[in-house]
Amino acid sequence: MVAPQNELNASTRKLKNLIYDSSVRSWFIQIFVVLFTAGIAYYLFSNIATNLRQMELPFGFSFIGSTAGFDVSWSLIPYDPSMSYGRVYLVGIVNTLVLSVLIIIFSTLLGIVVGVLRLSKNGMVAQVARWYVEVFRNIPLLVQIVFWFIVVFSNLPGPRQSYALLDLFFLNNRGFYFPFPTFQPEFIWTVIAAIPAILSIFLLQRSSNAYRKKTGKRVPYYHALLAIIVIMVMGVFIVSGSPLSWIIPTLQGFNYKDGGFVPTALVAAFTAMTIYRSASIGETVRAGIQAIDRGQLEAATAIGFPPLKTLRLIIIPQAARAILPPLINLWLTIVKESSLAVAIGFPELVSVFMQTSLNQTGRAIEIVIMVMGFYMCASLTISFFLNQYNKRIQMQEG
Amino acid sequence: MDNRAAQNTELGKFIPRPSRPPVVTSQGLVGWLRKSFFNGFLNTMLTVTVFTLLYLLIRPFIDWALVNAVWSASDRRQCLAINSDGACWAAVIHWFNNLIYGRYPNELQWRVNLGLSFGLLWILPLNLKKVTSKLQIGATGVILYPILASYIFLGGERSNIHYLLACTGLAYLLIVYIDTLLLYLGSKKSSQVIEPLLEPFLGKKADQVGFFLLLGGLVVLIAIVLQGLELEHVPTGSWGGLFITLIISGFSIVMALPIGIFLALGRRSTMPVLKWFSIATIELVRSVPMITVLFMSVTMMPLFFPNTMDLNKLAQVIIAVCIFSGAYMAETVRGGLQTISRGQFDAAKSIGLGYWHTMFLIILPQALRTMIPNIVTSFISLFKDTTLVSIIGLFDIMLMARNISIDKKWFGLHSEPLVAISFLFFIFCYGMSQYSQNLEKKLNKNR
Repeated sequence: MVAPQNELNASTRKLKNLIYDSSVRSWFIQIFVVLFTAGIAYYLFSNIATNLRQMELPFGFSFIGSTAGFDVSWSLIPYDPSMSYGRVYLVGIVNTLVLSVLIIIFSTLLGIVVGVLRLSKNGMVAQVARWYVEVFRNIPLLVQIVFWFIVVFSNLPGPRQSYALLDLFFLNNRGFYFPFPTFQPEFIWTVIAAIPAILSIFLLQRSSNAYRKKTGKRVPYYHALLAIIVIMVMGVFIVSGSPLSWIIPTLQGFNYKDGGFVPTALVAAFTAMTIYRSASIGETVRAGIQAIDRGQLEAATAIGFPPLKTLRLIIIPQAARAILPPLINLWLTIVKESSLAVAIGFPELVSVFMQTSLNQTGRAIEIVIMVMGFYMCASLTISFFLNQYNKRIQMQEG
Repeated sequence: MDNRAAQNTELGKFIPRPSRPPVVTSQGLVGWLRKSFFNGFLNTMLTVTVFTLLYLLIRPFIDWALVNAVWSASDRRQCLAINSDGACWAAVIHWFNNLIYGRYPNELQWRVNLGLSFGLLWILPLNLKKVTSKLQIGATGVILYPILASYIFLGGERSNIHYLLACTGLAYLLIVYIDTLLLYLGSKKSSQVIEPLLEPFLGKKADQVGFFLLLGGLVVLIAIVLQGLELEHVPTGSWGGLFITLIISGFSIVMALPIGIFLALGRRSTMPVLKWFSIATIELVRSVPMITVLFMSVTMMPLFFPNTMDLNKLAQVIIAVCIFSGAYMAETVRGGLQTISRGQFDAAKSIGLGYWHTMFLIILPQALRTMIPNIVTSFISLFKDTTLVSIIGLFDIMLMARNISIDKKWFGLHSEPLVAISFLFFIFCYGMSQYSQNLEKKLNKNR
């Protein structure tokens, strides 16, 4: 009687031990998750397979090679309807990048100004900057984009009554026209001359730094730098016969010809997103500057640093550390947000590929994968560099 | 020195002269104005210049929006005839109902109000200090409120289970309010009132059983009372306006919380499969724009399901937005979890709590408290981002506003509706952001 019960106890105890063993549990849970996910994936994929078979659209990327047949209203790279869907994809990516890079540059500049103004000692300026931020941050971006497009830029006068700046830049209800550079083949010599000029900048900087570290004296090398650039680059440029000319847009008939051109949709999307994001970048900059200990400023004043030098050597390096990571995240957001330009018909990636191409080909899965793939690559690249940068900062601190 | 000391001893006590009042120009309103607006010549110049610029910028807008505005007219032509320099708010007023309710039938709009006010009623006790079972009320709300609300909004022929669950929602809400009332009157909970009757039969479990008996009784009662009530069917296709914006953003933020908590816990898990699964989900979803997720939900999601299944656009969009905001919420939760010190984990372990107990009793309640401002912030951005559904053709407030300009009577009227909804969004979002900042201050004070 006693022995079997003991045995039973031992075996139940073993089982209990097994159940409560954390590694066994974790294996069990993980296997369950894998099977569960696989089950759902199998269900979805089998549905996709049946649906695609019924629609007679086998999965594949072969459609990329076929002719797109539709026109794109604006493209930086050459495009015409006889080109393939692959080219459309490329056009979309380039347009997205053009828009986002423009927004990134200008919203960062404007954002820094707004952030600094918010900290102004002048109450009027600080309040204006504050309400600028509050107003533009709290209205949905899409509403702002549509507003700028429909209410502001589409209501501009026609080409004949365009707003002109110095007779070089023209803004009207079709878009924005600006002088565009053309390079003659001789321009290559200027480029070649520029390479040693740029190299000499680095060399000068390094040797000057080394000298400063050794002796503690600062050697002003800016004059030498200026001389090199002016003599080498400009000299070569002039000697080779000024091979760069600007094509200025001119009014011909009912429209401007020649020169550079961006459509109203781009101008509107750019304006709206630059203002919208300058508000959030302004807040980031303000927070970064405020994060600096007051003592730093006082110490700099105490040892007699002039204001500009304080800003350059004390404030900016420390603020940059706090500002850059969130700022780069905002840039990432801008790249993603630029897809909102689809609402006003700017031909960026989502618009030309996810809307037009998808409607024409019906290849939902392939196109969604390709579009999302682009954004993922962009994000992962940027966040990879961000992580590297963060690591470098942390190492310097620790 | 000597003289003064002598004086002091002579009088025995030093009586200081009353101090002079500060210079008028350095305190109060005048002082503040001087200090921040007119301190020095340059600053005064700056103030005056900025003020002038502001005036030049804002004056035309005020003239357009208020001074010259037309508030009542029957169509755009009449608006222009009355005053062509001003805003034609008559269009916005005329379309106001549509901006709020979309194309929901006029005579049934009370149902939207009713459903949304049930939601408000559900949130209200969570803000009362004395109420104790907030987690239960919140969790039940997450589960039962959508069922109740969908029953009210949709109407038409619903299954019996749906009907009963909706009644359960009503009954639970009723009990919560009875309990809250009793609490403030200082007496026991409603379930405790009938507890003594049950105690002889059930012993210790009488409290819980009493609650469920009460709930069950109320459900049956409500189900019988409302039996004859038939709600006309309103398909989701005619939902719209601010109503649908609120539904999508509200539902998604509530669903995002559990999704976010599990993804964040998964990300911190020691189990590699769970960890990498969570990281992959969070990073992939966060790296794509919301509009692509929405496009995916309308173009690709139908392929995921057998084509016999009847999907509706609203459900597809809500699923997409839930996943999207869930991934963002996961990062918010992760931030919250990082504020909890290691000692809390160790202490929980040392008193023998397991993983789930540690998380749900010790860590998450503390982390969630610090996260509330961030959750409000993400709700604000989700609320703004919900306007994107207009791009894929859902009639939210944005698309309704755009549609005014297609209306024959108000043809070409673009700016007024856009300004009106901008104003609406500004009030909503600014209010919420102020609320979240106050919360943050309060939380920091308590620390």
